[in-house]
Amino acid sequence: MRRDFGRRLLSPFGVVLTCVYLFPIYWMVITAFKRPADMFAIPPDIVPAPPTLQGFNHAVIGNEAVFQGIVNSLVIASGSLVITLALGAPAAYGLARLRLRFTGLIILVMLAAQMLPTINLALPMFAIFSRLRLVDTYFALIVANVSLTLPFAIIIMRPYFLSVPSELIEAAMIDGCSPFGAFRRIVLPLVRPGVVVAGALTFLTAWGEFVFGLTLATSDGMQPITVVLNRFIAQYGTRWNELMAVSTIIALPIVLTFLFAQKHLVEGLTAGATKE
Amino acid sequence: MLARASRKLSPFLFVLPALVFVFLTMIYPLVFNFRLSLTDADLVSFVRGASAFIGLHNYARLLSDPELHNAFTVSIAYTLGSIALMYVLGFGLALYFNQRFGGRALMRALMLLPWVLPTVVSANIWRWMLDGTYGVVNYALIRLGLLDAPVFWLGNAHVALISVIVVTAWSIAPFAMLLLLAGLQAIPISLYEAARVDGASAWQRFRHITFPLMRPVSLMVLLLNFIYTFKTFDTIFILTRGGPGEVTTVLPILAYTRAFQFFRLAEGAAVNTILLVLPVVLSVIYFRIARREGEL
Repeated sequence: MRRDFGRRLLSPFGVVLTCVYLFPIYWMVITAFKRPADMFAIPPDIVPAPPTLQGFNHAVIGNEAVFQGIVNSLVIASGSLVITLALGAPAAYGLARLRLRFTGLIILVMLAAQMLPTINLALPMFAIFSRLRLVDTYFALIVANVSLTLPFAIIIMRPYFLSVPSELIEAAMIDGCSPFGAFRRIVLPLVRPGVVVAGALTFLTAWGEFVFGLTLATSDGMQPITVVLNRFIAQYGTRWNELMAVSTIIALPIVLTFLFAQKHLVEGLTAGATKE
Repeated sequence: MLARASRKLSPFLFVLPALVFVFLTMIYPLVFNFRLSLTDADLVSFVRGASAFIGLHNYARLLSDPELHNAFTVSIAYTLGSIALMYVLGFGLALYFNQRFGGRALMRALMLLPWVLPTVVSANIWRWMLDGTYGVVNYALIRLGLLDAPVFWLGNAHVALISVIVVTAWSIAPFAMLLLLAGLQAIPISLYEAARVDGASAWQRFRHITFPLMRPVSLMVLLLNFIYTFKTFDTIFILTRGGPGEVTTVLPILAYTRAFQFFRLAEGAAVNTILLVLPVVLSVIYFRIARREGEL
């Protein structure tokens, strides 16, 4: 009897636990929809009454800097996505077919790359790009982002390529396919889910990236949205509804992708961070 | 002959472009950083190409620099504090979500949101919640009778580091939960059943079965997250900029400040090298263990 009662409480208590843990995210969204005067209400309103789009209107739609930041982030994230997949998919395929000795070493380097502090790359890249007069360009920002996303994408995609039977590839080559033709026409369509996961994670990583944006985008017009937000923290002071509106916009693509493709993304992220 | 050779070579040709890219954007910058740290370059002299080689002088100076000592201590305290809290939270959540109940899968998935949120966003949310005057945290704690007067969580030198640790643990605990949950699910149920037959209490089962069997997973989770947390920059930069004073100035923040705020590039580069030592040692250990357990 007692045990049964305890079991029945697991679900409701789980709901409470989840709500408490996720409260900060709720608080961000709710604050973004509050009127400036209501933000400082005591006791704080748990639900905005009435909800208003004023924060979004001011800080996002009517604000050129934020708009430019979003555009910059989209360009950087899309560029990173294209280059990461163009280099990463063939590499993951090659690594799935290469002798074990090499693969082990290369994968080790790729994993170690994840563990590098970003500032360790950002500082020398700033110096190198300064010499090349490439600081404050999309090119520099995209290259920097790909240095993070490429190793990650390769590790995520390799298992998918490993699952393609090698007989299939040999057969295609006997039928006259070049090695690249076999890769493009036979293998790539089979591993599409892996490529999509790696692509999504690449895009989202670059979208939320901060340190490269902070160091390599030296003019306001070049900064990604994350760095624009950081600039606003100083400028906006206590206009929390607007700061939370911009934060919500930054979080939105990530939360949406996560909610729709949670299982795949989590598998990919875990694999990329821990092991193959 | 040629065909066979080319077939053997072709996988390598697929890998080559990515390898060249990684070499140019990872290995080369790391070497460049080290060379830079052996010069007297500031921003102006570097761009002009007028900096001079001064050997290990930057390192010698840094090793007697109290700001570096402070940053190292703060880094260690911050990292250990964060992963300890992460572990307790993550283990608790993993134990809870390892039980069977309705809606478990959905809740477990939602719990991961703080982990996937960009750190810039989560840090900014907590700046608002921890605000001394209007923050919801102060309000709640005062209402619950746990505080008499509002605390400036991020501006007060006594609590700033703790606040930053809590925020960090909040965002990485779901990741720990995920890995620990996988470990819990690998423990055979028969062990628990046998213990129950022998009359072991829930606490005894946890103490003598769960905890010892979770030791290898726990070690990996702690090691991995030490490496990831030790390099934290964004969270602290957004929350406190390393302040107040230097209470939350970890090594990456110090490297950034020296290079990009004081424009002493070479000094920043030297801090970078020092910052790298501990993660490199720990990742070697991590990879060794991973290999021994056949995970790599």
